[in-house]
Amino acid sequence: MVANLVELNGTPASPEIFVRPGTIARGLGRAYGDAAQIGGGRVVTQPDDVSSSTLQGGVLSAGGGVSLDSILSSYVPRGWFVPVTPGTRYVSVGGAIAADIHGKNHHLEGTFTNHVESFDLLTPAGEKRVSRDGDPDLFWATAGGMGLTGVITRASFKMIPVESAYMKVETRRLENLDELMATMVGSDHKFRYSVAWIDCLARGRSMGRSVLTRGDHARLADLGGTLAGDPLHYQARPVASAPPWLPGGLLNTTSVRLFNEMWFRKAPRLREGEIQKIPTFFHPLDGVAGWNRIYGPRGFLQYQFVLPDGEEEALRRILEQIASAQVPSFLAVLKRFGDANPGLLSFPRPGWTLALDIPVGSPRLFGLLERLDRQVLEASGRLYLAKDSRAKAETIAAMYPRLGELAAIKAKVDPEGLIKSDLSRRLGIL
Amino acid sequence: MFDALHTPDNVLIVGGSSEIGLEIAKQLARRGSSKFLLAGRSLEEMQGAARQISQVSEQAAASVSVIHYDVLAEGATESLLAAAKAELETIDMAVIAVGALGNQATDEKDPAAAERIIAVNFSKLAPAVLAIANQMAAQGFGHLVVLSSVAGVRVRRSNFIYGSAKAGMDGFATALADAMIPSGVKVTVVRPGFVATKMTTHLPPAPLSTTASRVAADTLRAADRGKVTVWVPPLMAVVATVYRHLPRVIARRIPF
Repeated sequence: MVANLVELNGTPASPEIFVRPGTIARGLGRAYGDAAQIGGGRVVTQPDDVSSSTLQGGVLSAGGGVSLDSILSSYVPRGWFVPVTPGTRYVSVGGAIAADIHGKNHHLEGTFTNHVESFDLLTPAGEKRVSRDGDPDLFWATAGGMGLTGVITRASFKMIPVESAYMKVETRRLENLDELMATMVGSDHKFRYSVAWIDCLARGRSMGRSVLTRGDHARLADLGGTLAGDPLHYQARPVASAPPWLPGGLLNTTSVRLFNEMWFRKAPRLREGEIQKIPTFFHPLDGVAGWNRIYGPRGFLQYQFVLPDGEEEALRRILEQIASAQVPSFLAVLKRFGDANPGLLSFPRPGWTLALDIPVGSPRLFGLLERLDRQVLEASGRLYLAKDSRAKAETIAAMYPRLGELAAIKAKVDPEGLIKSDLSRRLGIL
Repeated sequence: MFDALHTPDNVLIVGGSSEIGLEIAKQLARRGSSKFLLAGRSLEEMQGAARQISQVSEQAAASVSVIHYDVLAEGATESLLAAAKAELETIDMAVIAVGALGNQATDEKDPAAAERIIAVNFSKLAPAVLAIANQMAAQGFGHLVVLSSVAGVRVRRSNFIYGSAKAGMDGFATALADAMIPSGVKVTVVRPGFVATKMTTHLPPAPLSTTASRVAADTLRAADRGKVTVWVPPLMAVVATVYRHLPRVIARRIPF
């Protein structure tokens, strides 16, 4: 796939960047699917320039291309943390709004856009400031709108104050899905951050065995002597790197089973009050540059869905099928979502979300994922567009009934239909 | 557009009544490809094929349209590309399954008949393939699947008109794969051995013979992996390599 790459270099962003057959913004290109690609079209990027950002009264104004990585490096030492971070810090501010990203704190604090006050949106109709109260239609069409309403060139969002660059973490090992769900329902609300890693290969009585890590930012009083001397010391850098020549097939059922066994066994039954660094707690994979290469040249796909509360049985059935298909997924995480926001295409809604990394290769994968799609849909669940790379148009249309409203709002700022991505073409969005 | 598993949405089958083409289309429909355009000479046969393709998936029936296409006709490829734009918008995958075996014994005595075989298999087909590749390059993506033949690997006495044309097409298509790399377009060249189809019913089956559905499955697996050449069955790669290096005195005595 070939596209023409254009960097918006600050001044002045012009609507003329939108060309046929289509133009789409790209942040750091970490979406797992085709959201920021347009074969034969134009991809617009922006510089990761954190020096142009300003912090006033706890509200950060930063360019659309600025990464959470840069923001954390600049602002954690000053005692500020981003309101929401996903499992990687290599996402841009624009991408965070376009995918309406969530993090381990969704059950209490919602998505990234919940903390956004306004953003500047470049569209074929011109550039305008879109605020939550001033233009709620365009604001909530853009939140989770996968870049289809324009290019977010700047955004203002509330940061959260922290006393330290460390986390106070509780780790718990759970023997099966019942235990895990009961623990999460029972006490997740006591922790700002919570996520569970699940062993998707475990079957029978230990199906859903997992390691649940929950925590909050450490207060000064939580830190021991050495750390308390420099509580805001923050350094995040990859410590290892996966070479580009790794062959395919390293992740197979056997190797993943071994890894999962080890991961589960090494977790303590219960450990409280452990002090971890921010990258260890939030961004463990960012520690290995090019970690995706371990999947070999054929790569992997992500499958993430949410099921509403009350559909625990559907979740159990889906996990059973994944386990019995022996899909070697070594990264499977379960998390509880809190309230949904008004974003037309925003993914989170109250309930359970499961995310899986699956190596591409097994010929049975097509059929399995199609079957799972149907069950997710029947259980009133939906897939996450930022992760999706294979769902069918009619499936997504049924999962996101407000697509039509998005189309109407988009038509106002993009009457000629110049904003497009491979994702929007695949899913027939607009 | 392709999804993460390399399933195309919109597929053009040139040689729309070819059995291998039909098998590829059916397997793609099973995987979820939604739009097909069949281009070939026999509308009647293609309508039968279209019915089969649209009945493959119960949940989401693929839409299939057909268009008359004769690679030898003047301006045929231009109208094909226009129709593809109208019906498919983008040609995500194009399967080139055009071919005519001819009759070596009589064609040898009739240069006009030999010319026709060479035109269908190579001299008219190659420019058509180039035009499709260029349209894909303009859209920025696409996957061309070209059906070649083991017959072109070493041209044999018993079949040299067809074989030499296939040799030309094979060389053209494999080098086209290299040429297309910067454009984002992929090319996969398929070299099946003897395939039991209507094109070969009158011939005695050769060793390592295979079926259209096997060719289709192996072709799509190779395409998923982005391979430029694929032999069906895989052992044919070894056999063909040996055969290519046989001394002429032996090779010309081999009966098939």
